[in-house]
Amino acid sequence: MGYTKINECVIAKDLYYAVEDNTWVRVHDDGTVYIGMTDIAQSLAGPILHAKAKPVGKARKKGRPIATVESGKWVGPIKTPISGEIVEVNEELAADVQLLNKSPYNKGWVVRMQPDNLEEELKDMVTGDEAVLKYKEKIERDGIEACAHIEGTDSYEEE
Amino acid sequence: MEDFEGKKILVIQTHGVDTPKRTYSPLYYAVASAAMEIETTVWFTMNGTNQLRKGVAEMIKLDPSSNVTLKSMLQMCLDNEVKLAVCQQSLALWNMTPEDLIDGVEIFGATTIIDLALNYDHVMYF
Repeated sequence: MGYTKINECVIAKDLYYAVEDNTWVRVHDDGTVYIGMTDIAQSLAGPILHAKAKPVGKARKKGRPIATVESGKWVGPIKTPISGEIVEVNEELAADVQLLNKSPYNKGWVVRMQPDNLEEELKDMVTGDEAVLKYKEKIERDGIEACAHIEGTDSYEEE
Repeated sequence: MEDFEGKKILVIQTHGVDTPKRTYSPLYYAVASAAMEIETTVWFTMNGTNQLRKGVAEMIKLDPSSNVTLKSMLQMCLDNEVKLAVCQQSLALWNMTPEDLIDGVEIFGATTIIDLALNYDHVMYF
């Protein structure tokens, strides 16, 4: 998997991003999608203290919350960029919620969904070099500081 | 997470800029509530009213090293669809007019707040 760093913020190039909501989607072979928050999101929030996902079986329209996340300084929803039904919740987060900080693109996924309209909704997202470009613009526009990483964070080898 | 969608919470905030440490938490709870898809209203009355005057909340910061101000907490509420409302009668207490209020704040009278208190699922009073 290829990674790029912008201002110490990691972008995994194989994922699809909803840039403004700081969420990502990974399409699985079986047609389901994994959804999580970006490295920038975890850095802006700081060390996560609690995360509560919506239950399995819950249908969600694009833009609705799939989880609520809180840190010492931030609380808010993770909004799904894809409509569908939640088919799995990452139970590992219950044991170590800071997987959201340490491994936002891998062990820190939040939910898996069975999408309703994947092909169409992916068109509203960006991936690969386009995602890197969009995040460069966002980081500059919003004045986002260099991403901070807590102990135990995944190592990312840049392409 | 248990599904609370469709529930309603009313947060009543009576603390203002004279007691900064009592201002953040109710707003934080309100955002958490809205993020859980609970319909959430924060009602500012008594001293709570004064934080809604334009230009005031920007000056209130709990952690000097952070760029988070009371204004950013209020904005976080609005960004998450928390309804902010102020007591009409309290405006007079602080010599405020509707024009003095930050954008996004509704003005309700006392009867409205009683209606809300009876119709919401829970009231949190601060």
